Amino acid sequence: MKFSFPLTILLLLLLLQQTLLSAMADIQLIKNTCKGTPSSSLCLKILLADPKSQNADLTGLALIGVDAVNNKGLEILEQIVALKKSRQELRPALDHCAEVYHAVVDADVPSSRDALRTGVAKFAEQGMADSAVEAQVCEGSFGEHGRTSPMTGSNNAMDDVANVVRAIIRKLL
Amino acid sequence: MTSQTSSDVENPTHAPLLDDDYGYVPSLDASDQPSQPQETNRQPSKPVLLLISGLLAIGLLVALIVGNVRIETHDNDAPLPERRDPIEQGVSEKSFGLPPNVSSFSWTDDMLSWQMPAFHFTPGKNWMNDPNGPVFYKGWYHLFYQYSPAAPVWGLIVWGHAVSRDMVHWRHLPIAMETDKWYDVNGVWTGSTTILPNNELVVLYTGSTNESVQVQNLAYPANPSDPLLVNWVKDPANPVLVPPKWINIKDFRDPTTAWLTPEGRWRMVIGTKVNRTGIAILYDTDDFKSYDLLDTKLHQVDGTGMWECVDFFPVSKNESGGLDTGVIGPGIKHVLKASMDDDRCDYYAIGDYNPKTGTWVPDNPKIDVGIGLRYDYGIYYASKTFYDQNKERRILWSWIKETDSESSDIKKGWASLMAVPRTVALDPLTGSNLLQWPIEELENIRSNLNEFNEVKLEPGSLVPLNVGPTSQLDIMVEFELDKKLTDSLLPLKAGSVPYNCAGHGGAGVRDALGPFGVLVLANKNLTEHTPAYFYIVKGKKGELDTFFCIDQSRSSIAKDVDKSIYGSTVPVLEGEKLSMRILVDHSIVEGYAQGGRSCITSRVYPTEAINDDAQIFLFNNATSITVTASLKTWQMGVSSTNGSGWVWIGPSLILVVVFFFVVWTWQNQRNNRS
Repeated sequence: MKFSFPLTILLLLLLLQQTLLSAMADIQLIKNTCKGTPSSSLCLKILLADPKSQNADLTGLALIGVDAVNNKGLEILEQIVALKKSRQELRPALDHCAEVYHAVVDADVPSSRDALRTGVAKFAEQGMADSAVEAQVCEGSFGEHGRTSPMTGSNNAMDDVANVVRAIIRKLL
Repeated sequence: MTSQTSSDVENPTHAPLLDDDYGYVPSLDASDQPSQPQETNRQPSKPVLLLISGLLAIGLLVALIVGNVRIETHDNDAPLPERRDPIEQGVSEKSFGLPPNVSSFSWTDDMLSWQMPAFHFTPGKNWMNDPNGPVFYKGWYHLFYQYSPAAPVWGLIVWGHAVSRDMVHWRHLPIAMETDKWYDVNGVWTGSTTILPNNELVVLYTGSTNESVQVQNLAYPANPSDPLLVNWVKDPANPVLVPPKWINIKDFRDPTTAWLTPEGRWRMVIGTKVNRTGIAILYDTDDFKSYDLLDTKLHQVDGTGMWECVDFFPVSKNESGGLDTGVIGPGIKHVLKASMDDDRCDYYAIGDYNPKTGTWVPDNPKIDVGIGLRYDYGIYYASKTFYDQNKERRILWSWIKETDSESSDIKKGWASLMAVPRTVALDPLTGSNLLQWPIEELENIRSNLNEFNEVKLEPGSLVPLNVGPTSQLDIMVEFELDKKLTDSLLPLKAGSVPYNCAGHGGAGVRDALGPFGVLVLANKNLTEHTPAYFYIVKGKKGELDTFFCIDQSRSSIAKDVDKSIYGSTVPVLEGEKLSMRILVDHSIVEGYAQGGRSCITSRVYPTEAINDDAQIFLFNNATSITVTASLKTWQMGVSSTNGSGWVWIGPSLILVVVFFFVVWTWQNQRNNRS
């Protein structure tokens, strides 16, 4: 049986169009999700960095956001370990920072993940809101001990990411 | 402050609960003892035995006396409260502000351990949220609750369980229901109890399945003759209800107590949403296993989002007291309540229920569910009522979360408590709001009454009150305003921006007719204080509006705690004095205005205004009126100064036992020697 050449081209074009449309739709979801967050550019950066965002629904995007908070938290905990060695005089503040970032990574993140998966977004929002607070607590603990913080960049980054993810989660409510 | 016999949910008491257990007293019949070869080398000598028994007897006596004597906690030589000269002090916003160089701090164990409440329900460890299935059954009040045993943060949830005779003193029991079935493996979530006519009890609760679908499940006591209802059975037919096709599988939870319809079927309510419309839907059942969804919805309100923890109950217009859930008839209104997922507040509205059509209409659609009145204008969520057939009243329970940081919760090992149980009924005078009031059983843990009558508070007054410790207090205050003066001030200009507690800077901002009230959890130099106050302003129509607020903005120098100002208007009728009741219980402050017309629950985490440094003051920050305050304060709960004498029964009895044992040994020796 001979396949009609024009028909094949038509079918291929339709297939291509469908693929393009669905990809655009996903990008559109991501764009819409990031609109109205405290920093849409940071939001896009976080979501687009994870290939799973291509096929994710809003809950999936929120979970990607929580992963970003988790990764940032782990990164900061490593930074604290290094600082404890190189900046002995900052020990008390660094200990406090380790404490609060463990709260982020060991409590807030798992709680937010569970809440998103089971559909009770408000507890996920609570976890992200707290992560931002913990970043501020860490930053403030240097001043409480009369020192300048060597972690301002990191703490601000965590604050920003947590607030963006919180805004994403609020869209689920 | 805690009783030596306290238990918590992870170490429930194993003492026999229905029988007293006074320990084993050895028999004194020496002839029963088999003859034993006497140990010749380790016999205690007679004088030593006498000495030991004597010391033990003295010890016993001392223990009994010390334990039962009331020890005054405040210094009797302290001067009477000094009134600070109002004109000089002029308590302005500036003096209510933080001093420039606030001393640095980190949360110490002292500060964190102070936060544990003494007379509010808490599991003692880890995380709690919604109250579940409250009920009175076979002489015991039961409270179940959402519990996360792993950490002081929400996670995999099971049903915690505790029982009480009076809803004030609690006995923790083992976990009632675990996540052990596929249909609740991701969470044994909120549910309610229904008592059937033959006094049988059933529970309907939401389970989060292995695929995170929200389904409703049936459970009942394994042994209904056990008044403590320790063990529970989940029906093999579970899940008995799955989400209808037209709603999201994750928007279907928190079934209410069921009631009998005129047709003889059981009816219950579940909250859900479609897009942004919050909805309450109805199900009828005969056996709690198969359900019919009613075509009509009980009610819905656009723009309010998901309705969690829906509650639906009758209130009487004319009679005091509560009504069982299924009561209908003339003279009865129905309250529909829902927890708004969106803004974490509990809203209610009063209206009429038509049992034939299964619909409910609010009296005033402008203040419909989700857009109008709230049970409480502070931190108060996921509340649930039950009919207490024991005292014929309706009781309201609610979850009060922490408003500090998670790292603090992890450090102190616990998070969340329940507000005190409140009776709830229709306000007979206004008819348009509910009244909530702490249950009367709380009056049984009052002691050390201090009364202050007709304290005149001129503008700018700040009066410290010497009442002893102030971390556990019941305060009832009445304020009288000079009516002539108030009337003459009516030509006041109405404010351009309508007043609201949250947006007006708190108790440090002075106005003609407010604020005035009480400062609680205040330290000496007021760097930390929590005002609960009235604020009178001119309303839109020229009449006076009264606001009741609690201001946390200066409650603590800590930066990682909530500093919001909460409150709302409270109806004040002609001729009424302004009254407020405040329960202070460490890190929770509950305020009730005008007999419970408006309530505010607040979480407070001071760093200095704790233990002996916490004080209370009366204050009047208004500029144009003098206020006369009369108040009573009581200490609340079991403290180390009184009521703990019975704690010494245990050790005293042990001493008695040891004493008799020693005497017996001595006698025994004596007999063997002779």
